[in-house]
Amino acid sequence: MHIVDGALSNPVVIGGAVLAAGGIAYGLRSLTMERIPAAGVLSASFFVASLVHVPIGPSSVHLIMNGLAGLVLGWAAFPALFVGLLLQAVFFGFGGLTVLGVNTLNIALPAVLAGLLFGRLISRGTPLTGAVWGAVGGTFSIAATTGLVALSLALSGDAFIPAAKLVFIAHIPVMIIEGLLTGFAVLLARKVKPDLFHALQRSAA
Amino acid sequence: MKRLALIAALLALPLPAQAHKVIAAVFPSGSSIEGEIGFSNGDMAVGEEVIVTAPDGTELGRTVTDADGFFVFTPEKPVEHRFRADLGAGHVAEATLPAEEVAAILGKPVIEAAPPAVATDASEPVAVAGLTAEERDFIAETVRDEIRPLRREIAAYKEKNDFQTILGGLGYILGLFGLAFYIAARRKMAA
Repeated sequence: MHIVDGALSNPVVIGGAVLAAGGIAYGLRSLTMERIPAAGVLSASFFVASLVHVPIGPSSVHLIMNGLAGLVLGWAAFPALFVGLLLQAVFFGFGGLTVLGVNTLNIALPAVLAGLLFGRLISRGTPLTGAVWGAVGGTFSIAATTGLVALSLALSGDAFIPAAKLVFIAHIPVMIIEGLLTGFAVLLARKVKPDLFHALQRSAA
Repeated sequence: MKRLALIAALLALPLPAQAHKVIAAVFPSGSSIEGEIGFSNGDMAVGEEVIVTAPDGTELGRTVTDADGFFVFTPEKPVEHRFRADLGAGHVAEATLPAEEVAAILGKPVIEAAPPAVATDASEPVAVAGLTAEERDFIAETVRDEIRPLRREIAAYKEKNDFQTILGGLGYILGLFGLAFYIAARRKMAA
C-alpha cells in the first residue's frame, strides 16, 4: 500500500502532494481540542498496524486501519494519518518522502469518505447496527484505497485494470480483517462510551 | 475506547513487525554485472524483468531475475548502468553501478588482463600468485557464492524493524499530538 519512491510520474507526485496538503490543512482546522487525543491514538494505531505484515501467498500485506480513523476523526484523519506515514517513511523507509503526498491522499481520502458516508450510521440504532456499519466502513476504506493506489499507478503509465486487480485481490484478506476490527471497535465504543461518536461528530460539524 | 481498539488491534496481530521494502543491489562480477532484487523480509523477486538504462535514458538491455532474485547483465558501454525493475503494485527496485566500475569491468583491469597461460607460455609474465585467469575467476566466483547469503543477511538485518524503533515512533506521535494539544490549549486560553 506504500508506493515507493520512483514508481510514480512527477505530475502524479506533485498533484498528490498538493491535494494531500489541502486535506491536511482542512483536517487541522477540524482538529478541535476534543479530538486531538483521539487523533493521536489513531495515528499511533495506524503507525503500528502498518508495520505488521502478514504474508499472504507470494506477497505480504499489512493492516491499515484507516477506516476507523476516518469514522472517528472525519477530516482530521488527514493530519493523523499523515503523521503516521511520515514517521514510517523516516524510520523504516516505507514509501518515501517524495511520494508522501500521494500515499497520504490514497490512505486518508478513503478514511474521510468512510467517515462522511458511514459516520452517522454508526452512531444511530443499536450498537450492533452501528458495528455492522463500522465493519462496512472499514472494508470500504481499504477497497477505496486499493482503487486510489491503482489509479496513482495508472496515471503514471501502468494499465489501470491489472494494477487495480492486483492490489485489490491482495487486499481482500485485509478488507475482511479490517472490517471485523473496525466493527468490533465501534461495538465496543458504542457500549462503553456511547457518546463518543456523537460528541466527535458534533465537534466535526 | 481508542486505547482499547488499539490494544485489540495489537492483540489480533500475533506476527512480529516486519519490513516490506524493496532491496536492490548491483556489483561487478567478473566481466559482467551481477545484481539481486528482493524484499527486505527475505523474499526474493523471481522472474522479474530488469531494464538497464544509461543515464541519458537509452535502454542498454534487459535481463530477468532467476529463482533467487539474481540477475546478470553483461555491459557493453562504459557508462553508468541503471537497473530498474517494476515489481508491481507500486514496488520499484532501482540500483545503479557507477561508470568507473563498469569501465573497470570492460577495460579488464590489470589483474584480469594477466595472461591466462602460465604453463603454456613461460615467456609471458607470471600471473599473480601463479594463478591462471580461470583459477582466479573460479576463486572469485566461489567467494561471491560464499558471501551471497551473508550479503543477504546483512541487507535483511539493516531493514530490521526494532521494537525500540517502533516505540520511538510512538513516542514521536505522542510528542507531536501533545504539542498540538498544547497549542490548541493556549489558543483556547487566549480566546
